[in-house]
Amino acid sequence: MRINPDFTIQKVGSIWVAVPVGETSKHFHAMLQLNETGAFLWNLMSKKDVSEAALVDALLEEYDVTREIAERDVARIVASLAACGVFA
Amino acid sequence: MFIIRLAELYICIENKYPFIERQCQNFLCHDCVTPDFSVSVSDAQIREEQTLGDFSAGYCESICIYRAICEKMAKYHIFLLHSSVIEVDGYAYAFTAKSGVGKSTHTALWLKNIPNARVLNGDKPLYRLESDGSLTVFGTPWNGKENWGENISAPLRAICFIERGAVNSIRPATELETVTRLMHQLYLRGDRAAIDRQLALMDALVRAVPYYVLACNISDEAAMIAFDTMKNSKLERN
Repeated sequence: MRINPDFTIQKVGSIWVAVPVGETSKHFHAMLQLNETGAFLWNLMSKKDVSEAALVDALLEEYDVTREIAERDVARIVASLAACGVFA
Repeated sequence: MFIIRLAELYICIENKYPFIERQCQNFLCHDCVTPDFSVSVSDAQIREEQTLGDFSAGYCESICIYRAICEKMAKYHIFLLHSSVIEVDGYAYAFTAKSGVGKSTHTALWLKNIPNARVLNGDKPLYRLESDGSLTVFGTPWNGKENWGENISAPLRAICFIERGAVNSIRPATELETVTRLMHQLYLRGDRAAIDRQLALMDALVRAVPYYVLACNISDEAAMIAFDTMKNSKLERN
């Protein structure tokens, strides 16, 4: 999975927000709010195309969570990002 | 062509229609100065704005010019927040709400009930982020259909999001509410660098003043509780 490069992500207060820029901003009229985990995964997927398995491994490396929870979180976040239509 | 002084900057406006010069009469600068920047808009931009409603070319030119001014203001840490700002005894109090919720009605309640209250700008004031993290609000010639506003400025004490309510109550806004509601009021536009700058500014904005959510009806009490809470608000800036 890879995030459409026409997005920028920044922290506002303690909340991560992703906003469309360029051509994408003309048809994508919304912004996304992400928690820490969401922003962590977003940053990985915005740099290159990564698999869900690689995201789970990255999450396990960064956070002290079980594989079961990491898999569940990745699946949930990827599904909601897909529903928002932010993948390239 | 004429020069205005807006948020302590000199701006040269290269207009095609007389509307905007009349609108800016309280902000005209008659001294011989070098402007900080100039703005003009094309006929095509004015025509595009006219397709959005039944407005005169002069009015649409004014809208387009203010948009162009706001884009150039970003580099001076100055930005537009669609809001109604009231000045009382040297301090500014801001209200923002979705269109039609009753910003103007609530503003009128302040004028009626709060001694020394006057409207700094009823619709499109400019906010400047200061080096100490605080905000100053400036009046502008763009001040809404009621035409409420003056050529004054004041340090901002608090920002309040207005909702309609059966009874009057005011509470601090959560950070998530603040970010969500500010995103709806600010115009995020431009290329990636411009939007990144605006988001950085918003990050400073959420830390700059206390935020409140006011549920209110149209009674005098609505203005009293809003003013009493906001004037005593304190922010611990870190």
